[in-house]
Amino acid sequence: MSLLEVAGVSQYFGGVTALAEIDMTVEKGEIVGLIGSNGAGKTTLFNVIGGYYRPSGGTVRFHGEHITGMKPYLICRKGIARTFQVVRPMRNMTVLRNVMIGRLFGRDRIKTEFQAGPESERILETVGLGQMMHVLAQDLTLVDHKKLEMARALACNPELLLLDEVLAGLTATETAAAMKIVRNVQEEMGVTILMVEHVMAAVVGLCSRVIVLHYGRKIAEGTPKEITENPKVIEAYLGESIV
Amino acid sequence: MERTRQTAILLGSIVLVLCILPVAASDYVLSLVLNVLMWVALTESWIILSGYTGYISLGHSAFYGLGAYMMAMAVMHLPCALVVVMAGFLSAAFAFAIGLPFLRIRGPYFVILTLGLTELMKYIFVNLEIKLGGTVGRVIMTAPGLVVLYYFILAITALATLAAYFAKNSRFGTALLSIKEDEDAANALGVNTSMYKLLAFGLSSAFPGMIGAVIALRLSYIDPYSVFNPMVSFQVIVMASLGGIAGFEGGIVGAVILTLVSEALWARYPYHYMIILGVIMILIAKFMPQGLFHPVERWLLKRARE
Repeated sequence: MSLLEVAGVSQYFGGVTALAEIDMTVEKGEIVGLIGSNGAGKTTLFNVIGGYYRPSGGTVRFHGEHITGMKPYLICRKGIARTFQVVRPMRNMTVLRNVMIGRLFGRDRIKTEFQAGPESERILETVGLGQMMHVLAQDLTLVDHKKLEMARALACNPELLLLDEVLAGLTATETAAAMKIVRNVQEEMGVTILMVEHVMAAVVGLCSRVIVLHYGRKIAEGTPKEITENPKVIEAYLGESIV
Repeated sequence: MERTRQTAILLGSIVLVLCILPVAASDYVLSLVLNVLMWVALTESWIILSGYTGYISLGHSAFYGLGAYMMAMAVMHLPCALVVVMAGFLSAAFAFAIGLPFLRIRGPYFVILTLGLTELMKYIFVNLEIKLGGTVGRVIMTAPGLVVLYYFILAITALATLAAYFAKNSRFGTALLSIKEDEDAANALGVNTSMYKLLAFGLSSAFPGMIGAVIALRLSYIDPYSVFNPMVSFQVIVMASLGGIAGFEGGIVGAVILTLVSEALWARYPYHYMIILGVIMILIAKFMPQGLFHPVERWLLKRARE
C-alpha cells in the first residue's frame, strides 16, 4: 500500500479546470518532486491533499484511509504537514512559540507547554534556527522564514511533509544549505517528502521521482533524468516552436 | 516565574483590600468601586475572545441583556446567587449555539454580525414583552442590598480576571493566539480552530451574562432598550483598547482608568467631560495604539532579560 494515493482528483473553480483527473502515489521514504509552470495546479493539489479544498471529484488516501475533504487540522494529526509557498508565520510570536504550536497540536501532540519546549528547541536546531529561538518571527530574513516554515511543519511530527517551494528566492549558497536540510529530514528523521519546486537543480539533486503537471493535467512522471529529456515536458516548459 | 509570583501577590492584596472595603467605605465609594469592578469583568471577558483570537465582538451587550432578563424573570422564584450562576451558563450555552454559524464569518463582517445580534435580541424581547405582558418594562421587587451585590460583582470580576489569565498562559491560549495570527496556518498545524473559537466565545460570553444578572438587581427596573444597549459593547472596546488587548493586565488598566477618569471629569466638568474624554482617547489611539499597558509590558520584559 502506498503512503499517499491520489486517484482521479479533479478541481474546478467555476469554469476553470485547475486539476483534471490526477492520479499519483507517494511511497514511504521517497522524495517526490512536483513541477510545472505557473498555474499548472501544483499548489491546488497541495490544498486538496491538505484538506483546504474538497475536490470536485476523486479521492485522496493516506495509509489506505480516506482523507478526502477532511479538515486540515485532522489531516495534520493523521501525519501530513505542509509549508506555505508564501510564508505564513505567527508574526508576533517568537520563533520557538511558532514551532511549539505544531508540537502542542499536531500528531503525537504533547499537551503541556513544559514538555513541548525542549522538543521544539531540538527541531529548531536541526533546521539551523537554534540561534533565533527567542526572536519574534516577524524579524526573520526570508531564508530563516523558510526554515521556520519547515521547522513548524516538522513539529507536527509528520510522516509525509508537503514542501511548497521552500527554495524559491534563496541564493545559491542558501539553496545548497536548505537542500542539505531537506535531505537530512528524509534520511535522519525518516519523513517522506512531496515537494513543489521550480529550482531544477534541487529537484534533480533531491528527488527520486518527479511528476509534471501542465494546465491541471499530469503529463509525465519518472526519474529526474527521464523528465528532463521528455519531449512533452520540454514543450510545456519552453514552447512548441523550439522542439 | 518571578513576575508571575509578584503579579499574584499584588492582585491578591488588591482582592483582600476589596474584600474588606464594605466595612469602611461609604455608599458612594462602594458604588463607584462596584462600577469599576463591573467594567473590569466585562473588559476581561471581552479580551478572552476578541483580544486573543482577534474576532472583534460587539455582542457583549446581547449577553449582558440576556443575563439581566434572566434575573428579572427568575428572581421571584429562585435565590439570586443561583440565578447569577444560571445566567452565566445560559449565556455560554447561547454563545455555543450561535457561535457555530457566527464564527465562520471573519473580520469586519463578524463585527457587524455581533452588532446586529444585540439589536435582534432587543426587538425579540420588546415583542415578547408586549405579547406576554402588554408592556415592555420589568420591576424587580426583591433585590438584596448594595453590599451583597458588591460581593457578587467582586467574585465575578476575580473569576473573569483569572479566566483571562489562564486563557492566555496555557495550551488553550497558544491556540487562541495562533488563530489571531493566522487562522489557516494554525489549522494546518493541527489546531482545531473552530472548537477553540467556540470555547473562547462561550467563556467570554458567560461573564456579561452574570454581570447583567447582578446589575438588573441593582437597577431594579429594566426594559429591553436599557439592557440590550450597544453602548455596553462600545465602552468595553474603548476600555480594552485603552489598556491594551494582549493580556488581562490591559483589561484592568483600561477599565479602572476610564471609569475613574470619567467619574472625576463628570464631577468637575459635567458639561464638557465627554469632549475631554474624547480628546484623551484620540491622543492615546494616536500615540499609544497598543494601549497604556504596552510600554509597561515592554519594560518588564526588558528587566526580566537583564
